[in-house]
Amino acid sequence: MKRQPYRSMPPDNAVGRRDFLKAGGAIGAGLVLTGRSLLAAQQTQDQQPPAKPAGPPPRPKTNIEDALKVPKTKWSLPGPFPGRVVEVHDPAAMPEGKVDAAVVKAMFEKGIRALTGQSLKKSFGLFFTKSDVVGLKVNPVGPGLISTRLELVDAVVDWLTSCGLPRRNVIIWDRFDYMLKDAGFTPERYPGLGIEGLQTMDEAAAIAASEGKAADNGKWLAADGTHVSAPNFDREVFYWADVEGPKDLPYLNQHVFNGKFSYFGKLLTKKLTKIVNLPVFKNTGNAISMATKNIGYGAVCNTNRLHQPLFLDVCVEVPAFWPVRDKMVLNVTDGLRSQYDGGPDKNAKFAYIDNRLYFASDPFALDMVCHTGIVAKRKEMGVAVNENPRFTNYLRYAETLGLGVADPAKITHLKV
Amino acid sequence: MKGERAGRVAALAALACLIGGSAAAGQTAAQPPPIPGAGFSPGWAASGPPRAFTGQDLFNQIDGGAELFLEFGFVRLRLQAYAKGRAELTINAYEMESAAAALGVYLMKMGRETPFPEIAARNSSEEVQATVLKGRYFVQVDNLGQAPASKDELAALANAFLAGVADEPAPSPLDLLPAAGRVGGSERLIRGPYGLQPYITLGEGDILSLGGRVFGALAPYRLPGGETFTRLIVPYPDPEAAAAAFAYLRTHLDPYLKITAERPEAFDFVDFQARKGSVVRSGSILDILFNVTD
Repeated sequence: MKRQPYRSMPPDNAVGRRDFLKAGGAIGAGLVLTGRSLLAAQQTQDQQPPAKPAGPPPRPKTNIEDALKVPKTKWSLPGPFPGRVVEVHDPAAMPEGKVDAAVVKAMFEKGIRALTGQSLKKSFGLFFTKSDVVGLKVNPVGPGLISTRLELVDAVVDWLTSCGLPRRNVIIWDRFDYMLKDAGFTPERYPGLGIEGLQTMDEAAAIAASEGKAADNGKWLAADGTHVSAPNFDREVFYWADVEGPKDLPYLNQHVFNGKFSYFGKLLTKKLTKIVNLPVFKNTGNAISMATKNIGYGAVCNTNRLHQPLFLDVCVEVPAFWPVRDKMVLNVTDGLRSQYDGGPDKNAKFAYIDNRLYFASDPFALDMVCHTGIVAKRKEMGVAVNENPRFTNYLRYAETLGLGVADPAKITHLKV
Repeated sequence: MKGERAGRVAALAALACLIGGSAAAGQTAAQPPPIPGAGFSPGWAASGPPRAFTGQDLFNQIDGGAELFLEFGFVRLRLQAYAKGRAELTINAYEMESAAAALGVYLMKMGRETPFPEIAARNSSEEVQATVLKGRYFVQVDNLGQAPASKDELAALANAFLAGVADEPAPSPLDLLPAAGRVGGSERLIRGPYGLQPYITLGEGDILSLGGRVFGALAPYRLPGGETFTRLIVPYPDPEAAAAAFAYLRTHLDPYLKITAERPEAFDFVDFQARKGSVVRSGSILDILFNVTD
């Protein structure tokens, strides 16, 4: 299947001469500038003229066709509830900014029941078996402010284990081990559970490199010139994009590989049999960084190279591969404290307590609902928001691939 | 015209001397200001190793948030956490290419500007996070431990770092934005598509031919008669560069924008929500209005 970017025709509206003159009047007023202002502005510009862009860059080719060749299973996206999104709100979840764990647990259980229409025990059976190894994909970026709440993870673990899943069969994971620790996902906090980063990074070597000093790469660079975390990634299962990762050692330290391949973690391909995705309600620029971005950029290595040329399409194409498509059965977006601007990193100026959790087996419907929600919040707060359809085109792309539902008319958004 | 250009070159040379002199008085690229030791306030100790990220590696620390920093001209990020009992403070010191680049990031991140007077630089702060601008540094101090640090302790850490940061002028095109009707505190610098993204999509990639070097200035306006619009003014190095940028924009305009009228060096458009806009080149300046409502 060829990628068919969404395009809609702009409206056939016209600006009349009167309207133009009105706008032009404002322009004219602005160009009556004092000599000092104009000079001050010109001083800020580089003396060399900027390079002329050759034209919009073409979209890099990817191996999405390989993903689509693998037959789907009963567990494949969009799961048993395509287009169904449940939003649970309880104003008592975070009194004075502190999480009330009991309230969050009750919210979680209410959300699961509303999503499935079944009891907690029967709901478990819709997504899992007692022999599954379940990975909880958290979002540790912005620790302490907008990372996945530990109390939400507690609620998920309580549900899974109360339904018969052994504690040792639950693994909290993310790409980077140090970020998990920063966000509070430690063995001391979660005894008996697995906690795994797909990769490590030698911070001392990274600092030395950043300061232009000779770095001791011995802790992360093996004798054969590969990263010590390289064995954690599956060379047989990869997302390929025609974009090279930088070849320098600092990049390799942080990304494990640096060619055109983003390998899936073996944790996903060999160990986990199911995934529960636990993103946070937050923005990335004018778009959102929630369910599909948490997994799209979290399941593979060597991702920096992908941000600029493919950005949101990665949130569709990585989950289209079987280690995610056939294992990620449930998504719960943490909107207890949310962030409408300044993301995806933490920014207290734009973070707010919202006391909400969102549930879906279909991450694309979930992201469409949350995108609509963040647009409304930005408008409410007087923050600029660009509603150009290109910022949700990736969700429609997912629908064309049969991975989820993006059309708001087909989405059931249930508030409880 | 010739005299005007000569004057501009002289002014640029003077500006370069000014900036160079300032840098010499303070830190240099080879000797960045030190990250504070534990002595910034009694009872505090470093917690964990220092961290640093350069260039594209910033994505690892702040994920897609790196785009904005890289677009404005990011050099490096250094972090250090400190602990005192259950309280924790973390300093995030972003070194940018220039003071204008740091200002560009600050304007995007400050929200409604709420300064703590205890912090010895321009800042917009909350109890849980201080956002600070000085020279070419954009600094955030996080106060996100299990128990909060005091405001004085947060300010002490910020000030301990700021003491080593040189003040630098941040010349920018913000002065080009007319004051009448401008929504106060909403001014932004634009240096590429990522910063422009929340406001309008004019086209793919570097649609304004900013080339990572040219700054534009943007602000929303609300006129007494009720009209609202957003205005973006981009001063290019010379009329030729502005003309080339205009031609490129006209040719590669986003398909969701429909041109409704054209004149030499100007055109009008409507966006997908039927809001009006216009682009005019005048000398070395591109003047763009959008989201125009009556």
